[in-house]
Amino acid sequence: MLKKGDLFIVLIVIIMIAVSFVGVSIFRGREDDGHKTALIIRDGKEIRRIDLDAVDEPIEITVDGDYNNTIIAEKGRIRFMEADCPDKVCVDTGWLYKTGDMAVCLPNKVMIKIEGKSQDIDIVTY
Amino acid sequence: MGTVVIQRIYHKEAEKIGEKVKKRIAEIEAKMTINKPGGEINALNDTSGKDYVVLGDDTLYVLDKARHFSDISNGAFDVTIGPLVKAWGIWSDNPRIPQKSEIDELLELVDYKDVLIDKDNSRAMLKKTGQVVDLGGIAKGYAADEAINIYKENGVESAFISMGGNVAVLGGKPDGSPWRIGIRNPKGSQGSYIGIVSVKDKTVVSSGEYERFFEKDGVRYHHILDPKTGYPAESDLTGVTIVSDLSIDADALSTATFVLGLEEGMRFIEGLDGVEAVFITKDDKIYITGGLKNIFEFKDESKEFEYVEKR
Amino acid sequence: MSGVKKIVLLGLLISQALVLSIIESWIPIPMPVPGVKLGLANIITVTVIVFFGFREALTVMTIKCVLSSIFGGGGWMLFLFSFSGGLLSTVVMSGLYKAGRDKFSIIGISIAGAISHNIGQLLVAAFFMQDLAVAFFLPLLLVSGCIMGFFVGVISSFLINALKNTKLY
Repeated sequence: MLKKGDLFIVLIVIIMIAVSFVGVSIFRGREDDGHKTALIIRDGKEIRRIDLDAVDEPIEITVDGDYNNTIIAEKGRIRFMEADCPDKVCVDTGWLYKTGDMAVCLPNKVMIKIEGKSQDIDIVTY
Repeated sequence: MGTVVIQRIYHKEAEKIGEKVKKRIAEIEAKMTINKPGGEINALNDTSGKDYVVLGDDTLYVLDKARHFSDISNGAFDVTIGPLVKAWGIWSDNPRIPQKSEIDELLELVDYKDVLIDKDNSRAMLKKTGQVVDLGGIAKGYAADEAINIYKENGVESAFISMGGNVAVLGGKPDGSPWRIGIRNPKGSQGSYIGIVSVKDKTVVSSGEYERFFEKDGVRYHHILDPKTGYPAESDLTGVTIVSDLSIDADALSTATFVLGLEEGMRFIEGLDGVEAVFITKDDKIYITGGLKNIFEFKDESKEFEYVEKR
Repeated sequence: MSGVKKIVLLGLLISQALVLSIIESWIPIPMPVPGVKLGLANIITVTVIVFFGFREALTVMTIKCVLSSIFGGGGWMLFLFSFSGGLLSTVVMSGLYKAGRDKFSIIGISIAGAISHNIGQLLVAAFFMQDLAVAFFLPLLLVSGCIMGFFVGVISSFLINALKNTKLY
């Protein structure tokens, strides 16, 4: 059933996969400095920044919008706990705990991602 | 106090020391809260206008400090603000705007000079019935100081604690460099900052309208009440940060300075020894007192603020 | 083919695509990454490309996206999300099919379609989240697109061969 041209498609696909894997792993490797900061972003704007290393007791964050998301942060990890959006991909993503991990609620334009902590400061006074 | 506590301790037994600190904080909270029943401050408030109440060393010390700072700030910070705090329901789930007449009535009860402290007999009393002492603006600072003491007693040389944003540091970082404390961007998200102070063995405490507020009919009411008017302080500041040796001092001073505003607040802080401050104004300008010149670094990623330094 | 017959057949194909996308939503996928789907509805897109052509395929795909976001909920965002993937994959698959059916098999075309589907979705996600970090999902999406595209291609080949024998088209 396969034809000659398929080889060409397969080749391109393999190259794309290889390049993207290498690219992402380089990017992740560079960011991973052992510290973890979770960013909650809505509509392209950062709405909350949580130092995951410093979370002692679970923090619950509600994000309103077209839909509602409930986010739970614990020591070293964070996740979408509940959402009333139709696809629930964000909740299914489960816990994020590594630098570069990410969960997206597309219907609500909300995203959580984990970044290496900026080494610039130790803590923020408020 | 219901505050988020963050500790970083460099020591073999960091975990154990951290637990000790948590226990001590809970103890202080139980004694000094007015949001839960029990404790010494509740007892003091309940017998206001009637009788003296015997207080433990902790509470007596904090109350005395609170009175002292009420005094030197000329009432910009007033420890007897309690009746108004309760009327506004600032720490409750349903804050409200009290009637003007109610506020005027309660203002009669706000006067730190009515806190009578009898150190010789370890007791205190409130002069008028219905007066309420609120240590909410100072007990966090005390708890942070106590944490630093516990670190020291246990041989820790490098640590910091954040008591709901009140930061106190012991020594410098393990590599000997100073701790770098970000000052919160009053308009940005939690964790974003407008500048950094680098310190060793200091405390860095902030007050700002962003900490707690509610909105009604399009008007924003924040949690820092002006003891003179009974309404949220109409300050030209959005936030103020105090750098000093004792967190209890910084806690009271940050509230007082916020109420005083830029001009008066600056004069007030410069009149005190060993106390420095960073002011963030409503028109997005940043001012510092002279002593911070070399340890404050303006770093505003939001690009919304202007660093004017000293005025 | 008469206009009426075409409309009836396309209508049938749209409803089949719709059913497939609903069935698909019931099947849990172990990789909860936005955009990873079985892509079963691609079976229909490929079939329409083979028997009708690009324009018809685009119509079927668009109507399917509109209806599935009405029935499945998710509103404007999820519609744009699935439409962008569908658009790119329909364009790519039609292009490859026209370029030479003797050069590319249905399986090859389907793999290319699945992958472009995922890339299209990722672009829209990046646009709406205003964050290129979603590119972290790219490797996973490419691999899953490859696997899904292969199976969808196999099924489509069978379907297309079977339909050719019916002389319906």
